[in-house]
Amino acid sequence: MSDPGFQTPASVAELQHQLRTVDYLADRGLATATLIALRLGRPLLLEGEVGVGKTELAKCLAKLTGRQLIRLQCYEGIDPHQALYEWDYARQMLHVRALSEHELADARTIGGLYSEEFLLERPLLQAVRAGSNAVLLIDEIDRADDEFEAFLLELLSDFQVTIPEVGTVSAAGRPLVILTSNRTRELHDALKRRCLYHWIGYPTVSEETDIVRVRAPEATEKLTSKVVDAVHRLRDMDLAKPPGVAETLDWVHALGAVGADDLRGDTATDTLGSVIKDRDDLEAVTSDISRVVPHG
Amino acid sequence: MVTTADPGIVDRLVDFGTALRDAGLPVGTDDVLAFCTAVAELTPSDQEDVYWSGRATLVSRRDHIPVYDEVFRQFFLHLRPPSAERKPVKDMKVPQGSTGTINVPDTEPGEKEADEPPLVLGLQASSLEIERTKRFSACSEAELAAVRRMIARIRLDPPRRRTRRYCPDPSGARLDIRAMARQAMNLNDSAPVLLRRDRKHKTRPVVLLLDVSGSMADHSRNLLQFAYSMRRAAQKVEVFCFGTRLTRITPLLDRRNPDAAMRLASERVLDWDGGTRIGTSIDAFVKAWGRRGMSRGATVIVCSDGLDRGDPGTLAEAIEKLERLSHRIIWMNPLYDSTTEVPPTLAMAVVGPHVDEIASGRDLASLEEFAARLANIG
Repeated sequence: MSDPGFQTPASVAELQHQLRTVDYLADRGLATATLIALRLGRPLLLEGEVGVGKTELAKCLAKLTGRQLIRLQCYEGIDPHQALYEWDYARQMLHVRALSEHELADARTIGGLYSEEFLLERPLLQAVRAGSNAVLLIDEIDRADDEFEAFLLELLSDFQVTIPEVGTVSAAGRPLVILTSNRTRELHDALKRRCLYHWIGYPTVSEETDIVRVRAPEATEKLTSKVVDAVHRLRDMDLAKPPGVAETLDWVHALGAVGADDLRGDTATDTLGSVIKDRDDLEAVTSDISRVVPHG
Repeated sequence: MVTTADPGIVDRLVDFGTALRDAGLPVGTDDVLAFCTAVAELTPSDQEDVYWSGRATLVSRRDHIPVYDEVFRQFFLHLRPPSAERKPVKDMKVPQGSTGTINVPDTEPGEKEADEPPLVLGLQASSLEIERTKRFSACSEAELAAVRRMIARIRLDPPRRRTRRYCPDPSGARLDIRAMARQAMNLNDSAPVLLRRDRKHKTRPVVLLLDVSGSMADHSRNLLQFAYSMRRAAQKVEVFCFGTRLTRITPLLDRRNPDAAMRLASERVLDWDGGTRIGTSIDAFVKAWGRRGMSRGATVIVCSDGLDRGDPGTLAEAIEKLERLSHRIIWMNPLYDSTTEVPPTLAMAVVGPHVDEIASGRDLASLEEFAARLANIG
C-alpha cells in the first residue's frame, strides 16, 4: 500500500469511523462488505438506486487508503482496446519513417517498435500495473455489452494481462476493485459470483440528515431536516425517478445558492429542478407541493 | 484456508450455506468458502457481523435478500417462519374473478390418433390443409395446432442496429488505418492496400406485448408461439402478456420444448380471456421495465385488437411515454388487414399517431409477411 499510514482496519466499526473522516457515512452492511473486500482482495459489486453513493464510495476509499483511483467508465460498445491497452500506431509509423531515413532499421530497432514507449495504457492495464496501490472503479458495468463482461471475468480472476508483443503483465498485489451497476439489466451470474455483493438502499431519515450535515455543513439545521423530510416524502410518491442522496445534497446546495435558509412551498417549487429530473414527475410534484412541504 | 475459526463454527456456517441452497439460492461451495473466510477475518463480535458477511458473500441478487433474511432468521435466531402472508418470495396476486388458467393444446393434438393403426409408411402429407389466409378465429383446434407448427417454422429476421464497434468490411465507409499500418510494416516496401472497415451490426432488442384478453383469445395462443420462435431467433427478446395486468413471461419461454414453454407461460398468465386494459398495462411496462432501459433502442411489438375497456387518457399517456423510450412501435391488430382501413376503435385512434407501423397478423400469410418485413421496419 502506498500510504504507510493506512492499515486495514481491525473491525467494521473502525472502518466506519475511518470512512467518516473522509466524509463518507457507511452503514454497517456496506462497511462490512467493504472490509471483507479489503481483507480478501475480492471485487465488490455495488448495486442500488441512482445517487446513493456507489461511485462515491470508491473515491472515498481511494482518498482514505491513499491509493490511486483508476476509473473505467463503461458505455455501450466499449471494447477491450479502450479498456486495456492500445498501440500508438501513429507514433510507430513516424518512428519507422525516421528509422528508414537514417537507415537504422535492423532487427533490434524494429523490435523496439513494440516496446513500452509505444504502448498506450488504458485503465485496466494501469490498474494491473499499479496493483495494490490502486482502487479500480468499474463504473456502470450494466451499460457495457455482455461480451465486455466476459472479458472482465478473466481479468478479475487473475489480474494479469497478456500483451502478445510484450509478454504477460501481472499485478504485484491486488487492486481494490469496486464495480457499480444501476441495474438497467441483470448482470451475468458468472461475474457476480466473483464479486462480493452489496445492495445500497436509500438511507433512513437520521442517516441522511447525518450525511447532509457532513457533506453540506453550511446548511442550517432547520433547512437540513426539512429538506431530508421532503425528500423522503418524495420517495414515497409514485415517481419514475425517485431522488437519491446526491439529489438531496444538490437541493441543499441549490437552496443555499438562492439564499434560502428555510424550505417553504414557493422556494421548494423554484428549486425543484435540482431534485426531480423528469417532466412528468415534476408536474405531479408541483401540483401536490403541499404534501411534500407541509405548512405552505 | 479457514484456519482461525474453530471447526464447530465452520460446520455451522457450512450448514447455513446448505440451508440457503435448500431455500433456492444458488450458493456454490466457493461462496461458502468465501463466507467462512470472511467470518474468520472479521472475528465477529455479534450476529450482525455474521449477517452482513453472509449478505456480501452469499447473495448476488437483490431479489434474494428477503430469502436470505428469512433463512438467517430461522437458522441463527431460531425464529419460526412467519405466517403465510409474508412470503419471502414475491408472489403474484390473483385478481378477483379471474382464476382461470387455460391449457394450450400441444402441437400434436389428439392422443387418440395414436391408437389408429399406421396405414401408410413413409412420407405422408398432413391431412390438414391449412389455408394460409384462413383467419385464426375460424380455425378448428386441430387446424390451430397445425398453424402453430407452421408458425414455428417461419424464418424470422430480427431488426438490426449499428453498433459502435467496427469490423473489417471491404465496402466499408472508413479506411482501416490501424490494419493498413500493420500490413504496411509487414509488407515492407510493396504497394500498400486500402483496407476498409465499417460498423458492426447487431440484432436489435425486441419487446413483445401480447394481449391475452377475451377478444384476443384465438390469436394470443398463436402469438405466443410466434413469441417463442422470436425468442429463439433473436438474442434479446422480452415477452409480456397483458389483459387487465402485465405479466413477464420471458424466462418461461427459454424451454427447449415449445409445448412445455407454452404450458408454463399459460399457467403463469392469470388473466387469460379476461378484460383488457391496454393503457394501464402499457403504463405498467413503462414504469417497471421501460424506464430501466429494456425498451431503449428496441422494436416494441404490441399485439392487440385495441378493444380497450380502460381509460383512453391513460392509454394516450402510456403510449406516448413508450414512444419516447423505444426505437419503433409496431401494432399488430388481427382486426386489420392490408386491404382495409385501420379498425376504427377508440384505442387505435388514440395510439395511431405514436405507432410507426400497423400490421395484421390475423392469419398465417400475414404473419409470414410480417416476419419477412420485420428486418426492414427496424
